[in-house]
Amino acid sequence: MTKELVFGKVQEIFRDIFDDDKLVIQDSTNSSDIDDWDSLNHINLVVAIENELGIKFDLGELSSLKDVASMIELILIKLNN
Amino acid sequence: MQEYLIKDIKVGLKHSFEVNITELQMQYFLEISGDINPMHLDSSYAKSKGMKDKIVFGMLISSFYSTLVGVYIPGKYALLHSIDISFVKPVFIGDKLVVEGVVSSVHELFHQIEVNATIRNYKNEKISRAKIKIGVLND
Repeated sequence: MTKELVFGKVQEIFRDIFDDDKLVIQDSTNSSDIDDWDSLNHINLVVAIENELGIKFDLGELSSLKDVASMIELILIKLNN
Repeated sequence: MQEYLIKDIKVGLKHSFEVNITELQMQYFLEISGDINPMHLDSSYAKSKGMKDKIVFGMLISSFYSTLVGVYIPGKYALLHSIDISFVKPVFIGDKLVVEGVVSSVHELFHQIEVNATIRNYKNEKISRAKIKIGVLND
């Protein structure tokens, strides 16, 4: 799966979780940029990504998911392994 | 009270219980919430709007989802994260309800479970449904 395709899927997940059809994410987007990106919605994001892309994150990896770029990077590593 | 830990919970785990809706519960809820809408207090008004009688507060009904979570699934170690509730049919004083929850997903990493819950009346009609996300604490 290409980075662009993964980015598109993650974009849709963000729009769904934050209930905002016009939300546009960038590589640098992090929890400071989205008001509702709190600890509960972080769980919702990670679970939705796991379910949509058929991957599982490990406990040690969660702290590295600080922004969209790190999410995409980790997702691509998992999909290509 | 149940005391499920995350390791004990599997998809399909189910619990249910019954409740009777009383005038006293309505009075308590009115006192707590301050919701004075006549649909809940005035039978004549409710009938004029097409209801059989004054209808029970939806949030009173949904309080039984709290019981489902805090007493049954998972019980003692519950920490409620979110509830998405729909009210499908009205409930009236005197109705006997059955509250049921079934675990639909378990996320061990986050210690979070999701429960699909329903409340049915004595005619077995679904009057409310909910998707509930619950954190499960350690003992």
